[in-house]
Amino acid sequence: MSTENAIKTAILEKIPGANVVVAAGSGGHYTIEVVSPVFAGKGMLESQRLVYGAIAPLMKGNEAPVHAVDKLTTRVP
Amino acid sequence: MLNDTLRQHFDDLVKKHRVVLFMKGNKHFPQCGFSAQVVGILKELAVPFETVNVLSDPAVRDGIKEYSSWPTIPQLYVGGEFLGGCDIVKELHATGELQAKLGVEAKVVAPPKVTIEDGAAKAIKAADEGNGEHLRLEISPQFQYDLYFGPKKAGDVEIVANGVTVLFDAASAAKAEGIRIGWVETADGGAFRIENPNEPPRVKSLDVTELKSWLEQGKKFDLVDVRGEDERKIAKIEAARPLDADGEKHLASLAKNAPIVFQCHHGGRSRAAAERFLREGYTNVYNLEGGIEAWSVKVDSKVARY
Repeated sequence: MSTENAIKTAILEKIPGANVVVAAGSGGHYTIEVVSPVFAGKGMLESQRLVYGAIAPLMKGNEAPVHAVDKLTTRVP
Repeated sequence: MLNDTLRQHFDDLVKKHRVVLFMKGNKHFPQCGFSAQVVGILKELAVPFETVNVLSDPAVRDGIKEYSSWPTIPQLYVGGEFLGGCDIVKELHATGELQAKLGVEAKVVAPPKVTIEDGAAKAIKAADEGNGEHLRLEISPQFQYDLYFGPKKAGDVEIVANGVTVLFDAASAAKAEGIRIGWVETADGGAFRIENPNEPPRVKSLDVTELKSWLEQGKKFDLVDVRGEDERKIAKIEAARPLDADGEKHLASLAKNAPIVFQCHHGGRSRAAAERFLREGYTNVYNLEGGIEAWSVKVDSKVARY
């Protein structure tokens, strides 16, 4: 499975039904956009924590497939 | 991984210092772009802050991620509270919430005077999808520019120039007075060119082919070779004067805004010299990238390579 798909799957497991768009940059950098009603009433920190919590296993350690997230956008549809 | 000792260590750090940034590198030499951006914002707000270099200890690097439940670096703490990483800090800075948390007065910013040249206005209008989004211009504390279409946000400063609406967040607007947005045609279409009089002077890069055309056009500037006589004997550009006692004297006699190009073998020593003159107050300082080696390869093959 590509890293993009791994990210998407991990987020969907935590936030079912979300609309997830993942774009790969160079060197393990990714841009992620997640749209879901679950973010309603949540601040930016709480919303991003939810997503980061889902993909944390992919970002762990020096050999992690996801080296950095350049931009993470969370929106309510 | 995050044992009690380490947890206690983090507790102590964020209690002891009101503003703590866990980052890669330190505030003088950030070793990652995201860390550098947050350092730039904190410096701009002129608040005292403590930094912890996570690269110096893998246990701290992994531990802080667990402590904050946040998988990336940098991480900013204010008054013991985790505020977020680079993205969030930038957003809070733009909306003024960061200033409020830090107890810094958020400045009321007057709309800056902006010039948009015709070519740029045309390109912007062509790119506008008419979906209600406006052109936004972000200016980082390091004066890097980000020009994109996005929605209007609270606290935005809005201007209209040449029929184009431009939105700035307050921090960017404060750095934009007199800014000019132009358009240059390039091989792959074109690109925006931003000239901002608020930028602190920096060493500008000059390509050897540009230098050639400057010389051919008879442009008035000084070309200074920072190498010693031994190297100048092997190869030199005829128009270049050495940076000996006479050379130093000549440069000291110039106006501070006179264009000066520094040149060496590969461009490293000349950059250092250019930085020195910048510190001495010269504002129109260039480094010849690639030095005489590039000159020989790209412009004049009769000049010896060594």
